[in-house]
Parts: sequence; structure tokens; C-alpha cells
Amino acid sequence: MLVMILKAFLSSFFATLGFGILFNIKGKNLLWASVTGAIGGLVYKFCLYLNINDYVSNFIAALCLSFCAEVLARKYKNPVTTYIVCSLIPLVPGAALYRMMTYALKGILLKALERGCYMIGVAGSLAVGILLVSTVFKIYSRCKVKRESIC
Amino acid sequence: MEIEKLLDVGIRAGRMLLESGAEVYRVEETMIRICTGLACTDEVDSYVTSTGIMLSIGYNGQVFSKISRIKNRNVNLHCVARINALSRNIQIQDYSLEEVEQQLNKIEKEPKYSVWMTTLFGGIGAAGFALFFDGGMLEIVISFAIGILIRLLVSLLSMMKMNDFINNVIASMLLAILSIFSKKVFLVIDVNVVVISGIMLLIPGLAFTNAIRDTIAGDYLSGVSRVMETLVCACAIALGVMVVFSVV
Repeated sequence: MLVMILKAFLSSFFATLGFGILFNIKGKNLLWASVTGAIGGLVYKFCLYLNINDYVSNFIAALCLSFCAEVLARKYKNPVTTYIVCSLIPLVPGAALYRMMTYALKGILLKALERGCYMIGVAGSLAVGILLVSTVFKIYSRCKVKRESIC
Repeated sequence: MEIEKLLDVGIRAGRMLLESGAEVYRVEETMIRICTGLACTDEVDSYVTSTGIMLSIGYNGQVFSKISRIKNRNVNLHCVARINALSRNIQIQDYSLEEVEQQLNKIEKEPKYSVWMTTLFGGIGAAGFALFFDGGMLEIVISFAIGILIRLLVSLLSMMKMNDFINNVIASMLLAILSIFSKKVFLVIDVNVVVISGIMLLIPGLAFTNAIRDTIAGDYLSGVSRVMETLVCACAIALGVMVVFSVV
């Protein structure tokens, strides 16, 4: 259990860190983005460990990750993209995309379709998770501005 | 107010943003923010797809517009953050056109990480994926080495400015050859883990997720074009790997 948590945290931390450098993130942001990515990967693996459905695990991980990203973005006054783009990397369905194309080229169309649907499902649950959190944050900041203008 | 120059600055900022991998809505909003901040006019509108930018400004009863075609895109999040901050500053403080131009020049010249740095961290990223996909110590080390070699090849190929499709085929062929070679040498490793960790460096899984995000947010055109882009790219990678695996 502890080994699993440590492994998930470290692996997603380093995967995100590598992509953070490739995406040219600088300074303190690089570290924070990697920590966000590590949290996302950790939550995903933990949900899988609790036998939660793959799509739902991705959704929950996206919720946690984009919550961290939005908080960081507001704290350091950076666009949310800086943190979200590379912290999503460990969760993104790249392997499924590759498998789908391999099956399609081999002519095993039923399996290609199965992988394709899985990929759209995972990408969709990630996207909806991110969208949900960002909408909540937008409503929150709008309410805050309104309250300040009333005072 | 020289409106032509304002158009140039707005288009240039949008172009830099889109080429740095910003989302479509962010490019549109930032261009409008810069133009309305610099000129006292509200008749600014922009239309951005993932392959081109259009910006039009209405001023004193006349309409000025400009189009820019975007061909190459990569990811440079530092640039996105800087231009975003600049556009917000323009709205708060008084900036002149020349100052904004100077700022854009400065942002454009800011150094990126060197080739060696990205190569090394490409390897670290691949090693992280090997651990993420439950690989053992041996797989992690091999993925690290393969990741470094692939990043080197990718930077070399991008210097030659060839078609992206061909680049991906060549890079994934190298990946397949290296993983078969390491299987022959070490025997006990799980080739699947090594191949998948290497492929994560090449495959646009992120672009696919962003395509879905664009689509849900209502940017259907850029959503569809990005999905197409990722499918073509994935096709090239699968092709490269399959060619090698079927020959050996």
C-alpha cells in the first residue's frame, strides 16, 4: 500500500517534470506543476486500488488536479494552463491511442473500436473534470467581485 | 493612433500565443484585451482556429483587419504565461504601442532550455512512465536510455524541418528497433512497458484531451482539426513501430 502510493507519486512526479522541461516551464512553476501532476497520478492509482471504475478514477483525479492548478494559478497569478497541461500528462490516454491505431492498421477493427471508445471516454472524463472545477472557480470569483463592489 | 501598427501588434501577440500552444479561447481573449487596452475602441473582434488567426478593428467608422496563417506549433508555456501577464498589465496601466512591441520582442528572445537539458529530461520523463506502468528497475533504466536517444533524434529531425508525419515514423521506428535490441540483450524485460513509455514521449495524448476540452467548450472547428491532427500523428507512430516489428 505505502509502496504503491510512493511509486505512484514518484512516477507521475518525474513524468510531469520531464514534460515540464520539454514545455519550457521555468522556475518555481516547474516544481509546482510537477507536484500537481504527482497528486493527479496518485489519486488515479489510489482510486484504481479501491476498485473504482477506470473512467470514474480519471474523473476524480482530474477534479483534484485541476483544483490544485486553479489554486496555484490564483496564488502565483499565472494562467491555469501552465499547471494543467503538463500535470495531465500521466493520465492522458496516449497508450490507448497508440493501441487503437496499431489494431486499426492490423485490420482488427473491433478491437480498434473498443480502444477508441475507451480513449474517448477517458479523455472526456478528464475534460469534464477540468471544466467542472474551472466553472466553479469562475462563479466563485464573480461572486467575490460582486460582493466587493457592493461594500 | 496608428491602427495598422496596432493590428500588427495584436496579430503578433496572438501568433506567438498560438505557436506556444495556448488554447483557442485564450488567444481570442488576449488579442481583444490588448487591442481594447491600447486603443479607445470597443469594435474589436477576433476569430481563431488552430491553423489561423483573424483580427479586425473598427475605428472612426473604418474597419481594419488582418489574417495570419499558423503552420508550426509547439509548446512553450513560459511564453504563454508572459504574454498573458502583459495583456492584463495593459488593461491596468497605460502602455504605448512601442512599449508593448518592445515587451513582445523581449519575450520572444527569452531563452528556452537547451537541447541537452530537454534531452536529459525526456529520458527522465520516459523513466517516470516506465515506473507508472509498473515496470521494474531494469525497464526504468532502459526506458531512460531510449528516451534520451529518441529526444535526440526528435531535436535533430526538427532542425531539418521535414514533414511531421515522416518525423514521427522515423522516431517510432528507432524506438521499436531499440526496444527489440534491448529485449535481445537483456531477455527478461517486458517489451510492452518499454515501448509504451517511449511512445508517451511522441504520442499526442494531451492534444487529444485538449481537443475534447475545446469541443466541450464550444470551439468545434479547432476541436475537430485537433482530433484529426492527433489521429494522423498516432497513425504515423503506429506505422513506424509496426513496420519494424513485422520485419524483425
